[in-house]
Amino acid sequence: MIDDRLEELAALHALDLLEGAELERFMAELQRNPELRSRVGDMRRAAAGLAHVAPEADPPAALRARILASASASPNRGQDSGIAPAESAKPARVIPFPSWVPWLAAACFGVAAVWSGGLFLAARSENASLREQQRLARLGLEQTRGQLADATRLLAESGREIAELGARLKAEGDLAHFKISMLASMLGNSPAALAVAVWDPTREEGVLAVSRLPALEAAKDYQLWVIDPQYPSPVSGGVFAVDPVSGEAHVVFRADRPVKSIAKFAVSLERKGGATKPEGPIVLLSQ
Amino acid sequence: MAGGDRDALAELYDRLSRPLYSTARHILNDASEAQDVVHDVFLALWQSAASFDAARGAVFSWAVALTRNRSIDRLRTRTNRARLLGGSIPDDLGYDSEAGAPGIHDWAELGERADAVRTAVDALPPEQRRALELAFFSGLTQKEIAERLNEPIGTIKARIRRGLLKLRDMLAHRL
Repeated sequence: MIDDRLEELAALHALDLLEGAELERFMAELQRNPELRSRVGDMRRAAAGLAHVAPEADPPAALRARILASASASPNRGQDSGIAPAESAKPARVIPFPSWVPWLAAACFGVAAVWSGGLFLAARSENASLREQQRLARLGLEQTRGQLADATRLLAESGREIAELGARLKAEGDLAHFKISMLASMLGNSPAALAVAVWDPTREEGVLAVSRLPALEAAKDYQLWVIDPQYPSPVSGGVFAVDPVSGEAHVVFRADRPVKSIAKFAVSLERKGGATKPEGPIVLLSQ
Repeated sequence: MAGGDRDALAELYDRLSRPLYSTARHILNDASEAQDVVHDVFLALWQSAASFDAARGAVFSWAVALTRNRSIDRLRTRTNRARLLGGSIPDDLGYDSEAGAPGIHDWAELGERADAVRTAVDALPPEQRRALELAFFSGLTQKEIAERLNEPIGTIKARIRRGLLKLRDMLAHRL
């Protein structure tokens, strides 16, 4: 006789909903109650029908082939155990299965596992080593790039310095060729008068800068003379006037005749327009 | 099949694969995992063929139970059980007797039984049907089903019992 409580437990058991002590008690009752076992069987068949309640879905065609292939590779127990019709059954020849075989298999598996683990560790170690090498190579590359940038910058700076030095040397070389002379006053009434004459022999051109030289009356001019030893008389460098207020003048001049070397410069006071050779008093003379 | 006849396995697959796959997929909500489960179940059938009761009903019940248990085992081994259960069990399990029309089956008897089961389940009171569906497909415990349905656990137990008994009675000639 199955009461409502047992029937409820049977229904729950059919759906695998019993747990713990409740399951243990039910299993004990199930062991000794064949009617209950039959009822559980009924309930299980009814529950299995619920599979038809699931929304229908067709399995992919590949699943059938996959299952059949797996079955081909896995003989069923009927094949393994040699099940055959009773009339043709013969006592099976029992081949003893050595007890050490499982242990050997386990040992092989263990060795394989250790070997695989070793390979894994070696591969991991090699991988770490390669990563470290890659990191170092990247650092080296970055360092080299930095050095290259520094070298390029230094080269550029050196190039500028060389260019500057070359320009300075050229300027100094050019200056060595220039004739630079200070001219002092030869006049008693204007002792502070001063002049500087620079002559560029390459271009045969010069510059004269004068200061504190007295202004002249309209009929007079100052005239610059270049004294070259190859000529018996000074060569005219042209006439000029000074600023009446400051007494200054800045004159770019050329000699009337070709000049090879200049011994002195001189400035004389001449008539308006100048003379071919000095006639008036010498006002300034290079020292 | 007990003698290693692969054609018999192929025939059994053609007859059972659809409800088994549908069950696994409904429980797992994952086609790939459902395929794995069905594969394992048929291999188990193949390897245990010699120990089967020849009755078709026994094979079907056994295969369904195995499919359901393996699917629920997978469901429970998912790491975040509560979250995945919540995500894999829709509030409406999707049973619709109108939409559940059978397709072409090699095993007409099984197809007829499927129709009969759907009709029988559809005839159950909604609360009993809901309790049975959750008990069969969700993998939830009695307590969790009670919480899900917001009912006392005793009520849930009673609904499951009454629902299964009605199904058994309605399908007695087919089981």
